[in-house]
Amino acid sequence: MSDEFDSLRRLRPDRVHPDDPAEPPVFEREKERLMSTIDASLPGPLGVMRMPDIYPRLAYEDERAALDYLVRVFQLDEIREARIEHGEEWDYTMLAWVRAGEGVVMIGHANAEVHRIHSPKTIGNTTVQMMVYVHDVDAHYAHAVAAGADITMEIEDAFYGERRYEATDLEGHRWHFAERFEDIKARGRTVPDDA
Amino acid sequence: MAAESDAELIAASLEEPGCFGAVFDRHATVVFRYLVRRVGVDEADALLGEVFRVAFEKRATYDTARANARPWLYGIATNLLARHRRGEARRIRATARLLARQQPADDPADRVVGTLDARELWPHVAEAVAALPEEERDALLLYAWEELSYEEVADALGVPVGTVRSRLNRARVRLRELRPTIGREQ
Repeated sequence: MSDEFDSLRRLRPDRVHPDDPAEPPVFEREKERLMSTIDASLPGPLGVMRMPDIYPRLAYEDERAALDYLVRVFQLDEIREARIEHGEEWDYTMLAWVRAGEGVVMIGHANAEVHRIHSPKTIGNTTVQMMVYVHDVDAHYAHAVAAGADITMEIEDAFYGERRYEATDLEGHRWHFAERFEDIKARGRTVPDDA
Repeated sequence: MAAESDAELIAASLEEPGCFGAVFDRHATVVFRYLVRRVGVDEADALLGEVFRVAFEKRATYDTARANARPWLYGIATNLLARHRRGEARRIRATARLLARQQPADDPADRVVGTLDARELWPHVAEAVAALPEEERDALLLYAWEELSYEEVADALGVPVGTVRSRLNRARVRLRELRPTIGREQ
């Protein structure tokens, strides 16, 4: 390589200072310190993030597929540090936490020991709906549709001042996604009230 | 088992933080040499651990589409260097003096400087580099000393490639301006 920077390249200190040590003891020392920093950073799984004072736990027969679906189709963010996994491939169970804004939903195995909550897939009904506010609900909707979501209420402007749609996830839990008119206006779009 | 990419290691370290130790094993030497080049052994010694501690804390934000973590680590190191600018200016001046002494004034191999006296030139290059705006100097040294590509420099500094190109162009112009300056002084 030859250009205006050649003079600078020759000024590269390790080409000039012959006495700089190549492998000083710093590596061993800093590796040790890094590993103890890493060890000290291991709180309980929930210590990583303080969860909201109230949040739901949803049950799925296949919670791994559910986690993938919620992240991929509904664009929820997993709080990865919080995940807890048990067992081997044949008896695998997982607890995971996903986030939308300040809200959190916990997902776990259906009818698991102790908690005994069920997947809508098993009981044929559901008794709860997740209400989620998102940024740019039209884009959220378009993404969900493109990702193959089961849309159970088309996107529309609701009379109480929100644009919203509903979708049912892979095991039948119902999700309601909305954006407030004030937030839609704040990003420079018009809403029915303006008309 | 095939060797894991840095991105895979970093992703794995979210669940098993101990995996992050391997990122240190892979890149500590390169990062250390970079720090030494810019601020000398003593300050590099103090900074090396910090680079990897910061990286560890930020690992959840690592873009796992980037298999090689080296540009990312260069970026973190460069940010930390911002607090050591005076040490850096001292370092490059000292290097220039040493280089000027090492090199006979009539060194025929000295094609870069042409007929100019090396004892005059090197301090001028050092001053020019020391006087560059920080963002230009960061881009320039990552490119010229660390031999990162434009794309890698952009990754490291968190700016578009076009920005790297224009920073390097500005630095290029400033270094080119040195020649007439030295000519007049002679």
